[in-house]
Amino acid sequence: MFRDSSRSRLILAVLIAAAVALLVLDARPGGDPVTSAARTGGELVFAPAAAGVNWATAPATALYDGLRRGPGASGRIAELEQANTDLKDQLRAARIDEQRADQLDELLGLAGLGGYEIVAAQAVTHVTARGYADTATIDAGTESGVRPDMTVVNGSGLVGRVTEAGPHTATVMLSTDVKSAVGARLEATRKIGVVNGGTVPGGPDAELTLELFDLEAPVESGDRVVTLGSHEGAPFVPGVPIGTVDDVHVAPGALSRIARITPAVDFSSLDVVGVVVRGPDEGPRDSVLPPRPDKGDRS
Amino acid sequence: MRTVVTLVAVPAAILAQAAIVNRLPFDWGAGPDLVVAVVVAVALTTSPAAAAGCGFAAGLAMDVLPPAEHALGRYTLVLCLAAYVLALLHRNTGTTGALNGRPPVRAVMGVVAATALGVGLGYAVVGLLMGDPRVSLAAVAVNTLVGTALTALAAPLVAFPLLWVRGALGDNEYSAIRGPLPSGRW
Repeated sequence: MFRDSSRSRLILAVLIAAAVALLVLDARPGGDPVTSAARTGGELVFAPAAAGVNWATAPATALYDGLRRGPGASGRIAELEQANTDLKDQLRAARIDEQRADQLDELLGLAGLGGYEIVAAQAVTHVTARGYADTATIDAGTESGVRPDMTVVNGSGLVGRVTEAGPHTATVMLSTDVKSAVGARLEATRKIGVVNGGTVPGGPDAELTLELFDLEAPVESGDRVVTLGSHEGAPFVPGVPIGTVDDVHVAPGALSRIARITPAVDFSSLDVVGVVVRGPDEGPRDSVLPPRPDKGDRS
Repeated sequence: MRTVVTLVAVPAAILAQAAIVNRLPFDWGAGPDLVVAVVVAVALTTSPAAAAGCGFAAGLAMDVLPPAEHALGRYTLVLCLAAYVLALLHRNTGTTGALNGRPPVRAVMGVVAATALGVGLGYAVVGLLMGDPRVSLAAVAVNTLVGTALTALAAPLVAFPLLWVRGALGDNEYSAIRGPLPSGRW
């Protein structure tokens, strides 16, 4: 059944040895000239093809989106009406808090938009060839100043970080990927923790999970979570919204508190994103807000 | 002529997979794998060594094209082995019937499904050996089964025409007999 000529077997052995050698070269930490050159070549082919498909399928994509949302539209309307009445009630009840919340929103938005230099890009592909990793390819690369380990945001909050960068495209590991871990801070209480993609062992089933190191810290659903920031802004700059706490998981005997996070970003409709290529001139360190002399009453 | 058809069809399938299929919003993760379907079509009509080379080249191309989220060589290894084993089994047993006529669609779909299943599992096993934390039992089961089903559905559109063209352009007196083909023939 498995009869074969020795020449053919030799060819197979050589090919397999080559594949294994590539695997070993690429799995080693740090870049390798052979594999990065190969990736750059692949990227040169991919960029024009993706741009062409983008141009050709724009009308079809719009049509598909419309069709896909059609059946759910009536349910969505009822949901929105319900949400609308709920919001009106809340608005009446919480008029006092409103001004403060608005101010906080504005400040938090400024932290992302005011202090950082951002390169805008479009997410080209979302799913991956074999469906395991949660990554996106964007149409900006090293020629636009994008480097690995840069923060990627969009208008709603944190998208992820750049893992590979070619001349015209870059691969972004989304914060929902199982390998992703983001240092985080609760906006209200300033307590720090880690936001992991997917679920952590012992945690609830979720897209994002927050692990808080302080067992006593008060966490409630609705609390907002922002990035803590890393040294020199790589891979994450501080103050970017990650999501809101959905529910807190109480595990007896656990060393940390675990909370399910609703992402601030809608990852299923990722489109225009921004890569933070440069931080503000003064190092923001851990502060969520850039210095504002007139409103500097917050620590 | 056969070589030209193959050299056009395989890169076309790879580009279509990278630029079109990988961008479709599949909520469940995996999509159809056109590359597996094309490699199956080539492997069923050539010698094991040539099939292994074709699988190696196609897998390497898929490893190199963005999104480059896995180690280079992972898909190459799996696809090279899969193409070789498939060509070897086909040459030595002739399981899918003679290729001088039109091969039955269902047989082609079955072969593509079996190969896609093997490739999916092989890809997961390589990930497991390399310590990829994304490979869990549930993820492998969902990705492999859904990917296999979608690839099998795509097979009549991709593998079947290529198989037929390669069969029609090839030397029918050779493809009709069971036995060693002249090695190196594309």
